[in-house]
Amino acid sequence: MPYISYDKKEISFKIVYYGPGMSGKTTNLMQIHRSLAENLRGEMVSLDTEEERTLFFDFFPLDLGRISGYAVKFNLYTIPGQVYYEASRKLMLEGADGVVFVADSNPHRFDRNVSAYEMMIDNLASYSVDPRAFPIVLQYNKRDCQGAIEKGSLEQAISMDVPSINAVATEGKGVMETIRTISKMIIEGFEI
Amino acid sequence: MKDYFKKKEVDPIIESLCRDLNPITIMLITKQGTVISESGDTQSINTTAMAALTAGMFSATREVAKMVGEQQFSILLQQGEKRHIHISLVTEDAMMIIVFEDYRRIGMVRVEAKRAGTKLIEIANREKQRERTANSTSRNGSLSSSGARGKIGETTGKDEKISTPEFKEYALNLIDQIFVTKQQE
Repeated sequence: MPYISYDKKEISFKIVYYGPGMSGKTTNLMQIHRSLAENLRGEMVSLDTEEERTLFFDFFPLDLGRISGYAVKFNLYTIPGQVYYEASRKLMLEGADGVVFVADSNPHRFDRNVSAYEMMIDNLASYSVDPRAFPIVLQYNKRDCQGAIEKGSLEQAISMDVPSINAVATEGKGVMETIRTISKMIIEGFEI
Repeated sequence: MKDYFKKKEVDPIIESLCRDLNPITIMLITKQGTVISESGDTQSINTTAMAALTAGMFSATREVAKMVGEQQFSILLQQGEKRHIHISLVTEDAMMIIVFEDYRRIGMVRVEAKRAGTKLIEIANREKQRERTANSTSRNGSLSSSGARGKIGETTGKDEKISTPEFKEYALNLIDQIFVTKQQE
């Protein structure tokens, strides 16, 4: 549920980029940040380890604009992908209004995608969120890799039907389409 | 998440605390990392990022607390060489951050933070009570101005009311304008 401040006239939504390690979550955020006009985006905070993997999270706020006097904001977060940061991953999902699952299209990473997705579902459930009634977009990233997994194969493996988008985040392909899709799903499901 | 802190009631408390302690900055934030109120030097510090990071830090600390058999730690203290941060949990949903310099004042920071926290809890409780009353009224017929679902604009006057379809239409339109792919540009 978004944070609504009647006094400050502000509505803030939280979007979390989830996925296995090195699937391109931070790259997605960086591409979005780069593409946006300066007056819309806040500073991007990135907490990286020496190996340039996300230890804690990346974050940046985005001002959508004013609607009927209310400043509408999207706060974008990534989660740490590495398996040993499971506790941090779960924390980042708290209060999320929507999730983008960034999957790695590399066929050797298929199982990692599946286990990360299953873990995400468990984590959402721990916050009493029904994943089937929750905005989730599946991004098939790294479509340029050799022998990329077939689109639809992940949905089949996880037995869930969610909107999916092809992407090559390093080139910016599919990045804006993904954020647009998840934002719309969140707004469409928003009860006021 | 419902905002139980009315800015006009909260701001004077935070500002008064700022006068008493003379810190660098004081912020009241939600556990989601949104700034509710801020006072002091808010120009040299990126308060938006700081709120997000502190909220994450507090969540992590809560998990650590659980590991040692505590529900949560109510105070977090970060001691630096020149600057220090005192973070205290005010309610389940809000925490107060005080950035200060003179570490000898830590005792005073703690006492005054607790005193201000008590006042903030009173505000939140009063608002929750008001909401409960409004909800019971709405169940009897008329729609409450501050119902649990949080009707936008209805708490602050007729002029600010907006309808859900209108809100969604504008928001969706803005999304289309902002998140443009290169091919669309």
